[in-house]
Amino acid sequence: MITRRRTMALMGASLATGLGHAVHADTDYFAARVASGELPDMAARLPVNPRVVNLAAMGREPGQSGGTIRTLIGGQRDIRYMPINGYARLVGYDMALNLQADILASFEVVEGRIYTLHLREGHRWSDGNPFTAEDFRFFWEDIATNTDFYPDGPPTDYIVGGKPPTFELIDPLTVRFSWDSPSPEFLPKLAAPVGLRLMVPSTYLKPFHPKYGDADAIAAAVVAQKVDDWIALLQKLARSNRPENPDLPSLEPWVPRTSPPAEQFVFERNPYFHRVDENGVQLPYIDRYVMNVSTADLIPAKTATGESDLQFVGLDFTDFTLLKQAEDIHPVRVALWKRIQGSRVALIPNLNCADDGWRSVMQDVRVRRAMSLAVDRDEINAALFYGLAVPSANTLLPESPLFKPEYAAAYSSYDPDTANRLLDEAGLDKRDAAGLRLLPDGRPTNIIVESSGESTLETDVLELIRDHFRRIGLAIFPRSSERDVFRSRALGGQIVMSVFNGLDNAVATADMSPSELAPTIDDQLQWPLWGSYFLSNGTQGKAPDLPQVQRLVDLFYAWQTSASTEARTAIWTEMLEINADQMYTIGTVNGSLQPVVAANWLRNLPDDGLIGYDPTSYLGIYLPDTFWKDAAS
Amino acid sequence: MISPLPGPGDPMTHYVSTAPFDPNSMAQHVEQQSANMTTSQWRLMWWKFKRHRLAVVSLVFLIVMYVSIIIAELLAPYALESRNLNAIYAPPQQVHLFDEGQFVGPFVYGRNMTLDLKTLQRIYVDDPAEVNKLRFFCRGDTYLFWGLVAADWHLVCPAKGEDLFLLGTDRLGRDVLSRIIYGARISLTIGLFGVAVSFVLGIIVGGLAGYHGGWIDIALTRVTEVLQSIPSIPLWLALAAVIPITWSPLLVYLGITLILGLLDWTGLARAVRSKLFSLREEDYVTAAQVMGAGSARIIGRHLIPGFMSHLIASAALTVPGMILGETALSFLGLGLRPPITSWGILLAEARSVNIIAIYPWLLYPIVPVVLIILAFNFLGDGLRDAADPYQ
Amino acid sequence: MNLWRYVIWRVLTMVPTLVLISALVFVIIELPPGDYFESYLAELKALGETADLAEIEQLRTRYHFDEPMPVRYLYWVGGMLHGDFGYSFEYRLPVSDVVGDRLWLTVMLSFVTIVFTWVIAFPIGIYSATHQYSWGDYGLTLVGMIGISVPNFVLAIVLMYFANIWFGTSIGNLMDQKFLGQPMSWDKFTSILDHLWIPVIIIGSAGTAGMIRRLRANLLDELRKQYVVTARAKGMKSVPLLLKYPLRMSLNFFVSDIGSILPSIISGAEVVAIVLSLETTGPMLIKALQSQDMYLAGSFLMFLAFLTVIGMLVSDIALAFLDPRIRLGGDSTK
Repeated sequence: MITRRRTMALMGASLATGLGHAVHADTDYFAARVASGELPDMAARLPVNPRVVNLAAMGREPGQSGGTIRTLIGGQRDIRYMPINGYARLVGYDMALNLQADILASFEVVEGRIYTLHLREGHRWSDGNPFTAEDFRFFWEDIATNTDFYPDGPPTDYIVGGKPPTFELIDPLTVRFSWDSPSPEFLPKLAAPVGLRLMVPSTYLKPFHPKYGDADAIAAAVVAQKVDDWIALLQKLARSNRPENPDLPSLEPWVPRTSPPAEQFVFERNPYFHRVDENGVQLPYIDRYVMNVSTADLIPAKTATGESDLQFVGLDFTDFTLLKQAEDIHPVRVALWKRIQGSRVALIPNLNCADDGWRSVMQDVRVRRAMSLAVDRDEINAALFYGLAVPSANTLLPESPLFKPEYAAAYSSYDPDTANRLLDEAGLDKRDAAGLRLLPDGRPTNIIVESSGESTLETDVLELIRDHFRRIGLAIFPRSSERDVFRSRALGGQIVMSVFNGLDNAVATADMSPSELAPTIDDQLQWPLWGSYFLSNGTQGKAPDLPQVQRLVDLFYAWQTSASTEARTAIWTEMLEINADQMYTIGTVNGSLQPVVAANWLRNLPDDGLIGYDPTSYLGIYLPDTFWKDAAS
Repeated sequence: MISPLPGPGDPMTHYVSTAPFDPNSMAQHVEQQSANMTTSQWRLMWWKFKRHRLAVVSLVFLIVMYVSIIIAELLAPYALESRNLNAIYAPPQQVHLFDEGQFVGPFVYGRNMTLDLKTLQRIYVDDPAEVNKLRFFCRGDTYLFWGLVAADWHLVCPAKGEDLFLLGTDRLGRDVLSRIIYGARISLTIGLFGVAVSFVLGIIVGGLAGYHGGWIDIALTRVTEVLQSIPSIPLWLALAAVIPITWSPLLVYLGITLILGLLDWTGLARAVRSKLFSLREEDYVTAAQVMGAGSARIIGRHLIPGFMSHLIASAALTVPGMILGETALSFLGLGLRPPITSWGILLAEARSVNIIAIYPWLLYPIVPVVLIILAFNFLGDGLRDAADPYQ
Repeated sequence: MNLWRYVIWRVLTMVPTLVLISALVFVIIELPPGDYFESYLAELKALGETADLAEIEQLRTRYHFDEPMPVRYLYWVGGMLHGDFGYSFEYRLPVSDVVGDRLWLTVMLSFVTIVFTWVIAFPIGIYSATHQYSWGDYGLTLVGMIGISVPNFVLAIVLMYFANIWFGTSIGNLMDQKFLGQPMSWDKFTSILDHLWIPVIIIGSAGTAGMIRRLRANLLDELRKQYVVTARAKGMKSVPLLLKYPLRMSLNFFVSDIGSILPSIISGAEVVAIVLSLETTGPMLIKALQSQDMYLAGSFLMFLAFLTVIGMLVSDIALAFLDPRIRLGGDSTK
């Protein structure tokens, strides 16, 4: 109430004084600071060529500045959602997941390996200092390639084909990164929820770097910030993925105004933000963004009592009824967005499990197909998702340009007879007195399925699948594990089968990395050892011993050095086909829904959309800076 | 004055009883008296206990409950794992006796479910045309009695092909009443086993400390002090986290009881210790020592029985703490986990505002928890009052 | 033993206790398999997110995660001795910076709760003892026991929900959102009062039953003693009689209770505070334990244990003042 009243007062004041201004009156929020000379007026704060977001063309309405969005987070760490949702990136995705320049004025790519980036003239950090090529140079030469900072050379994210890029500072507004071989992951990494870092605010950070700063002052700052040395100091001050340093200049739409620890984190509009709407009004429309820390369990209840103006964090599909009832009592509305997972819950056999008997069974594609055919996906959908999800294998969603219906349909119909036949063929044809199949070595097929133990949804799905599997003579025993030992247990081969999310990004385009489809990292539960082998360049883990999996690895290498979108499409297609055919993971349903709650006065939030981490950066691609408060409603 | 004494040399004038004399009669009398006293100590306690009317009621209630968990499979209308996907989140059904003014015996109305796709809620409406009479002593879901014998007898079952959810169903259409009945088996025994563990530990540690005193006392006092000064939840968390996940449900259950017992003995040990401090100065202890009895014998044979009644009373007061401890552990996601069904797990599943607002019947497990805990408390109070019958 | 020797002896015994506690606390925070980073990575993975692995690796080496457990214990205890309580990985701050206002709110909550417990327990206890086995005794004891019979977390959720429905109290927390991070004001204070009663009732009622029971038992013992019978025989009125000696004697246990009541209030408060999302130390501690933020959890536990040890010390010394028999006991005569 107080904020609203104060904003109204400010609005009144600015109306009185601002009548003489040109067409684009400054945002009221800064009126006092502009009047006192602390801030230049809006025209002087914007880049010469701001990014114009044409809202009418997007089917939205241009709005007016003002208002505060309150939202709830489950812990202090979750202020990381702010830069993800803010989504100011050098290059970012648009709503159709095409890459476009955002902070950059433009960029050029030559041979898929030489990237020239053009900055916007007159673009400034949130503290008013110019944002120029020097910020890139300082980061690249004094941090990324500084051997004190990174003794082993620049972090792996910058390495392609074993080599870091060459950095060139062309002019104050142009920089160039060139690799020796094509680096298709570069732009998607810039557009990621936590974008690859290429620049830091050099004016702010230089005094803390021994090459530029005064040694005594740095030593004093090290003590004051309670860190060990200047490296930790710079890391702490420059950390932007969790905006904990209110002094750190930023390019995001909202900048932090609260130092932790706190129960409430206030973010304030960035006076130098580089986007405007078609009427020349500087974005973001919303003045303040307030994150309140709560227990994660209470977020649905608090949201349902109108304590949040924009909420998806901490809400689950099962909360929908409660939230919908709140619509009658509080001025909020609930929308259902679509989650971008390849499968809401997937059964994941461990092809690397330590038990010899089980490993050979799990590596038999007939067994995996049989298990997939045995799952009654319609029952799961009806019982747990009100029939609103889509039965599917664990693969891409129809929203992806690479989607083909046969991927989703592969072995995902309910067919216990075929499943039984496949299992018989696979050598599991002997049964005990109770009808339970026996492994070739004579043990009963009691499969312990481990879940990370956090979600009741997983255990519920397992309860249903347990009955389905009984019909094909397999017995599963759900166990909830501690999720922090989950990964190491999988890597140690102690898990035979687990239950987890399906593909994290099921709306991929060919330009996004297909790393989820091949063994590339050691936390992939279907082949942790092969993933570890790839990740460590063959020093750890084991080399894949299935030809199809080796083919996936080869294809992934091919994608990493591909130079054209056509080549990548072909690679993606083959990888998807192998995955659909081999059933490495067994999907249940996808396209499940995620409630997004908003205050009734919030305009421009779409009624439906895709929601997930990468590539949509949660709300990021839907540009929360264009949401506005309709004071009339 | 007449001298009472006879003259010198005269025989004494006295009366001698001719009745037969038993030289052991006095001893016999003492024996008889002591026999009277020992037998009547418990009897006296019982008389005293009976004066606490609520304690008596509680005792009867608890006996009934513990008997009922033996035959849980018979009492529950459904088997533990039965699900009914057509009746997810069904509210409790009311038992009626009269339909349209006519007596038909206990029955429930059939129900029709519609799915409200606007609020994503399943809505159940009674169908008064469909009268489903309950069946008693009937055949229903099959189960393994005590995990051993297959059977399908139930005390009460729904009409054939129909539903009977007296306390509603949960998110997978499982009957809440049946789950409460099965959960009682875990929740009621977890307290007893836990108390047994803490009892043994408390008596040994408290006994040694109280009887020997000196450095043993100091060391043991420090240990109890250490355990008491750390909040119990972190201790539970740590111990529960080391239970390997590959353990079978039965082992996990035993592990949890052990944890609950391990962390609870300090109070008992302190009580034993302070009692012993006063008792060990009694003469009968000195007598036993003089006769060469060892300390284990003195503690076990002479001292502990002296305040056994107190120990039993405080044990009765410890059980509720254990039952609540299990619910707290389940709430924190540690301890017992599905598919084991305990009251703690049922309550932990019902802990969101969602449930209270939309499916409040999932909170029914709270009723037996409260009743059991009240009963144990009153029983403990009654026992404690009765523990010293001579007062 | 005179009083001062008793006090000194009692203070000295704190040292081994604290050493033992620190070892036990370290075991507690080390016992669960895995470490903070494992759990952090797993949590992000469950959300489909990724983490900065390089930074994690640096933190791992800086905080000696590769060293064996006894070495890390020495680092930790050594650090605490000169005021370094370690580093919270979750908050990415030194532990000493993390706690903030929470401590004050915890102290306030505990204090109000203890007062509440006494205020409720006292009259009920006296009434129950003087009217043993009357229906009033049963009724009041029953009321006192309701608190311990309902699991705290259920009671908390239910009360919170209905407070919201009936009184419009905002869900959870110790104050309305808008007062978070604001300086204390009258509005903020009343907002805190609006929210405070729920946790106070829940946590307090759990302790009330025990308190009533002890007071009742103590009073009953006293009332049966010779001097009471004598005084009664001489015609002393029952109220002054009750107030004169028995009540005073039975008050000793209030003093002796302080030491044991503190950890139980803190323990009971943890679960309630999690459910109600209170800005107290409890949820922070439990969360730190669950996410294995080991230094935060460890230093926190150490602090709580230290408080309790001090509480026991104070209550022991106070008892020794009040009741000379206490300080004479403890030594075996054999």
